[in-house]
Amino acid sequence: MPDFAEPIANLVEQLKRLPGIGQKTAQRLAFHLLRGDREESESLAAAILAAKNNLRECSICNNVTDTDPCLYCRNPARTQKSICVVEEPHNIVPIEKTRGYNGLYHVLGGTLSPLNGVGPDQLKIKSLLERLKKGTVEEIIIATNPTTEGEATAVYLSKLIKPLGVRVTRIGMGIPVGSDLEYADEVTMSKAMEGRREL
Amino acid sequence: MPLQDSEAIVLRTYPLGDADRLVSLITRTQGRLRGVAQGARRPKSRFGAALEPLTYLRLWFYERENRDLVRIRQCEILESFLDLHGDYRSSLVTALAAEITDAVLPEREPQDAAFRLLLHVARGLRETRQASLALGYFLVWTIRLAGWLPDLDRCSSCGRFVTQAPHGPSVASSAGPEPLYWSLSQPGLHCANCRRPGMRTLSTEALAAARRMLAAPLHQLALDANSPRVSPEFEAYFLDMIEHHIERHLASRRIYEESR
Repeated sequence: MPDFAEPIANLVEQLKRLPGIGQKTAQRLAFHLLRGDREESESLAAAILAAKNNLRECSICNNVTDTDPCLYCRNPARTQKSICVVEEPHNIVPIEKTRGYNGLYHVLGGTLSPLNGVGPDQLKIKSLLERLKKGTVEEIIIATNPTTEGEATAVYLSKLIKPLGVRVTRIGMGIPVGSDLEYADEVTMSKAMEGRREL
Repeated sequence: MPLQDSEAIVLRTYPLGDADRLVSLITRTQGRLRGVAQGARRPKSRFGAALEPLTYLRLWFYERENRDLVRIRQCEILESFLDLHGDYRSSLVTALAAEITDAVLPEREPQDAAFRLLLHVARGLRETRQASLALGYFLVWTIRLAGWLPDLDRCSSCGRFVTQAPHGPSVASSAGPEPLYWSLSQPGLHCANCRRPGMRTLSTEALAAARRMLAAPLHQLALDANSPRVSPEFEAYFLDMIEHHIERHLASRRIYEESR
């Protein structure tokens, strides 16, 4: 005999499919939705459907957008001379929050991850190379995560792009602001030393 | 539960929850383990770069009652192999080696030889940068340690030596070294006389390369001007054998083969 009525059990099952949501959290969310107003549930359902129906990939940078090209690609105030390469669309947000970058983006759709069966053909690398062939781009900033896979992807991309005569840079890596050198491991510290700059 | 510690090598990690990591490791004292590193994906995580794949580290962890996953408390890097990922082929070999170790070893059974093999191959690869040789060496030794390696010198069906016996009296075939034939449905390697339809060839070069890998350390083989050549046929035999025994395909194999 099931623990819940079928509609609740179904809702719990659907919520459990979301990342980071287990059985207990799914149950809490399901009962929270049930306790709320009907309008609240309808607006949540409508928001999910609207996002699914109206969002697509930007045909230039592969960012998630409701208009094609996306707001970054169609903004004439942004410089066309640099492209920042990121793994996923949500990686654009922290870079935009810095207010220090005014160039374009390119979303790869992941990183080289042999263990997950992701090779160069599964990433949006060809479209990046096509953008570079137009000749307006002077710098590619590779902002993949500072992980093994992110590093492998960065090195792979740099080997493809450098022969095209475009400057390739990598975001800085090392000690996080506000932390203490005493607690830094040798890999992090060596990356920080490699990326040191003149004052 | 008491805090335990062991040397370990990180095999792979998976994102878990908002900022945690699920980590698969091979440890010296407990064999293969899986554990949770809380907050490991945050920029100021105490784990730093320690949980990147193939990092050799000292690990402090504790078990939780009725839980399969251990809780990782602290890590100290003993040796990092992050620089291997500057070369695409080397990074593919490390991924394949980690995936095979993860798939072949049972959980919580100490396997010191497998631990030393993975560390030896990672160090050899960093020293030599010979990705194919390192992979070949890893495959041959993994299969030997798992107990799946057939006799490379004689036919499994009739017992006839196809080359000079490595030990004891010489019973070499008068015709010199011969290739052997294999099929996943027929265990072992078979001579031309015992070959069945559909069997594939393992050439004399591939057999000689495997024998040499069993007799010398990786860095010594790499230094040799005439180091063993690891052909696609060699890799196919050993990778097919591993996939046959673990009963699934290796995700990183396709990417590795596409990179040739």
